[in-house]
Amino acid sequence: MMHSPLISETLFQLGPLPIGKAVAVTWGLLALLAGGSWLLTRRLRLRPTRWQSLLELLVAVLDGQIRDTMQVSPAPYRALIGSLFLFILAANWAELIPGIEPPTASLETDAALALIVFVASIACGVASRGPAGYLRTFAEPSWVMIPLNIVEQLTRTFSLSVRLFGNIMSGVFVLGIALSLAGLLVPIPFMALDLLTGAIQAYIFSVLAMVFIGAAVKETAGTHPASKE
Amino acid sequence: MTLDWWSLGLQAVNVLILVWLLSRFLFRPVAQIVAERQSEAGRLLDEAAEAKAAAERVRAEAEAARAQLASRQDTALRAAEQEVAGVKARLLREAEEEVRQLHERAEQAQVARQQAALALVEERATRLALEIAARLLERLPDSVRLSAFIDGLLAGLDELPAAARQALGAESAALTLRVPRTPSAGELEACRQALARALGREPELKVAVDPGLIAGLELEGSNAVVRNSFRADLARLHRELSHESA
Amino acid sequence: MDNPIEIVSILGAALAVSFGALGPALAEGRAVAAAMDAIARQPEAAGTLSRTLFVGLAMIETMAIYCLVVAVLLLFANPFVH
Repeated sequence: MMHSPLISETLFQLGPLPIGKAVAVTWGLLALLAGGSWLLTRRLRLRPTRWQSLLELLVAVLDGQIRDTMQVSPAPYRALIGSLFLFILAANWAELIPGIEPPTASLETDAALALIVFVASIACGVASRGPAGYLRTFAEPSWVMIPLNIVEQLTRTFSLSVRLFGNIMSGVFVLGIALSLAGLLVPIPFMALDLLTGAIQAYIFSVLAMVFIGAAVKETAGTHPASKE
Repeated sequence: MTLDWWSLGLQAVNVLILVWLLSRFLFRPVAQIVAERQSEAGRLLDEAAEAKAAAERVRAEAEAARAQLASRQDTALRAAEQEVAGVKARLLREAEEEVRQLHERAEQAQVARQQAALALVEERATRLALEIAARLLERLPDSVRLSAFIDGLLAGLDELPAAARQALGAESAALTLRVPRTPSAGELEACRQALARALGREPELKVAVDPGLIAGLELEGSNAVVRNSFRADLARLHRELSHESA
Repeated sequence: MDNPIEIVSILGAALAVSFGALGPALAEGRAVAAAMDAIARQPEAAGTLSRTLFVGLAMIETMAIYCLVVAVLLLFANPFVH
């Protein structure tokens, strides 16, 4: 019998804190991303090198996406959205390293990410409209919608986390089954599919985070088809 | 199912730390460098535009200077041409004038020379004629030289206008009678009688001898003169010849 | 396997996954067909269309994933089996 994907293993105890596998891998990814970006951005010049051009392209694409989706200036949201995307992408692709399970395949990580988006959307809404203005958006288009809007806030956060969790967990699960059936070559198509799924899910998570925050900041973002998820 | 809340909290903190780190080390510097490059590019574009404008200005100035130079050159050329043309015309005019003057002077000189030569020839011819006449007259008898001219003098008196003849006749003062030689008493008497007939009274005569007359008689009053002598004839002939030759 | 609840749970998990796969499969087929039609009409908009298509497919697939999660819960974290 396979072990449950819903239970996180505890690697070791740090004081009162039980450090799970996902947390440890997250630390590793964190160090990798932060160190890599520190190394790459240490010497930025006006005449860019190849790596710097790559970074600038990344930032430009990110800015374009934020502007397209949220219809606002991208500068305040760039760090949050970009970091979410990079972290989820790196976490999803960490599956390729043997013995490492992606942190996004554990429900706690996804719940934490969704929680961050939830809090960020509220914070941005309050910051841009003021507390009363933000609360008034729950009464739109009429006060009858207030309970429905509150439920929507909660369910979309829940679905955000469960979507990411289900996709990555299913990928890991299917890969484990394929590995248990035939160790060589057979898992390769599944791994390729997981890479695609991981990239798409990272993109979708970022887009949905943008949509939620944008909906809280402005009304126009509510017309996005994914916002009624 | 159970959620591991410790892990959830740790992951949330981890992700927040990651957001901060990436914003600190990745997004902010890259966005900053992009903005810097954009401002730099804008500045460079501005500078390039400025430099272009300056170059355009310099070019326009050079163009204007060249045009001015060309126009000045053109003006100078035209002025020089005009001056040359003026000088040429003036020189030509002066030369023509000089030639004309020279020509005129030469013509005058030639005419004068011709006239002088002609006058000389006429003078000689007149003198020769007078000499010939004087020689020929010397062969005539002396009486002829005087009394033969009485009729001529009377004819001359007749030709005078009647008023002049009467005035001559009525003159109280003596009339001067010029003769080539001292007349004899008979000749003088003949003259006086002839004059008395012509004038109607006997005039008082004063005789003046003038060999230059060659032959003939001349009567002079205060108002009228009657010439009837070879000298007068020769002088008239001489005048007429000169007149014809001129 | 003497507990009937376990047998029912397994059956429920299988049913959830199968029916959960049915609906999203049909929906994804329709979505892809519509996207192909749109790209054939407007090839210049292929980039935007395919991006939107991928996002939509992932959204639809999420329904199947929800069913999978339910099945996994039934199998591994059944609150009625101890």
